[in-house]
Amino acid sequence: MPNSPHTDEPSKPLADMHPISKVSVGQILGLVEAIDEVGGSADVATISQEVEMDIDRLGPIIDAAELLGFVKVEEGDLTITDLSRKVLHANIRERKKIIREIIDDVPIFRQVTDMARKAGRPLSREEVLGAITGQVGTHQAEDFFNALVYWGRYVELVHYDSESEQLSLRAPST
Amino acid sequence: MTDVRPILEVRHASRSYFENGKEFRVLEDISFDVRERDFICVVGPSGCGKSTLLREIVGLDRPTSGEILFEGRPVRAENPRISMVFQSFALFPWLTVLENVELGLEAHKVPEEERRSKAKNYIDAVGLAGFENAYPRELSGGMKQRVGIARALVMDPVLLCMDEPFSALDALTAQNLRDEILQLWTNPEIPPSAVLMVTHSIDEAVYLADRIIAMSPRPGRIVKIEVVDLPRPRNRKEPEFYGWVDEIYSLIV
Repeated sequence: MPNSPHTDEPSKPLADMHPISKVSVGQILGLVEAIDEVGGSADVATISQEVEMDIDRLGPIIDAAELLGFVKVEEGDLTITDLSRKVLHANIRERKKIIREIIDDVPIFRQVTDMARKAGRPLSREEVLGAITGQVGTHQAEDFFNALVYWGRYVELVHYDSESEQLSLRAPST
Repeated sequence: MTDVRPILEVRHASRSYFENGKEFRVLEDISFDVRERDFICVVGPSGCGKSTLLREIVGLDRPTSGEILFEGRPVRAENPRISMVFQSFALFPWLTVLENVELGLEAHKVPEEERRSKAKNYIDAVGLAGFENAYPRELSGGMKQRVGIARALVMDPVLLCMDEPFSALDALTAQNLRDEILQLWTNPEIPPSAVLMVTHSIDEAVYLADRIIAMSPRPGRIVKIEVVDLPRPRNRKEPEFYGWVDEIYSLIV
């Protein structure tokens, strides 16, 4: 049973980072803005034309926006959610906060941050890869790791030094 | 009426190149002012000299005749009160985000502690907090341009010049960045006093600008300066918006 009163909320939480591993925050927010501009709802073909992106490139962005709870997809129609409206009215810092709450709940993200917290020291890239390979397979572990770093940095929960390849936790500035 | 001197005065500026004794005119008799709180877009077909005009304003090039005054004096290169954002981002790949943003302050001998805190402040303002120690190769295109913007703003410029800042980005990233730039523009705590942006996208100009300078094909002349009085936030699907796009389009083509 869903425990949220909002029917707009995603039906299931974002289980892993795969759908958001190949897209940027800017693209997802840009999609939300584009749908809002045509009235909050449009079919995929219209949006594809509007933003001059073919379905191959737009597909992963739509998937990511759906899994983050920003867009509902039904029979090829895209509709923005209450969460999207909140983001549209938020400033740059508030947008980060909203997305932080979502990312922080992603199980695999939580698993890695918990691991770093328990270790009480920075984790090496190899250690993190080792921990997630069991769940996602070797061939996807790299993508996952990159997504962890990208989204973790964006929401200001992860600090990563690409020189020493050490990942640690950080406190958000706001 | 106001007697306050404009921030920037472009007076009958023309630019020609000479090759084998032949003259190639790029810009012809350009005159306009930039005042406090102006967001101006210069639009025109490719090759109309709009980027050359911007180079002259930031002091990287000089008009063959006429003059360009910034705060009443002829423009000069490396004036920290004018910042530039480039289409190609122009970041140093071997420097981190923080180091790229700090660089201009370092060149002006700002003490380390002060420049670090200023740089962090602007990195946060453009939404890049968390990426301070990332290298450009670790960033998406939109984020690279945010670094370019933070680097320009950290100098506390009076005038921010932008040369096609969104044209290397995909349409979604560009849309998001345009909106967030407008957010920054309406924040009184954040410089600059005025923005002058070159773009080939009429849509983008009508979305962003209070005034649009429409230029003819080469040699670039000002066809018209339009005041865009559409209320904000602007919606590109509104008929009034289309009306403006059509109007500017008909001036240029």
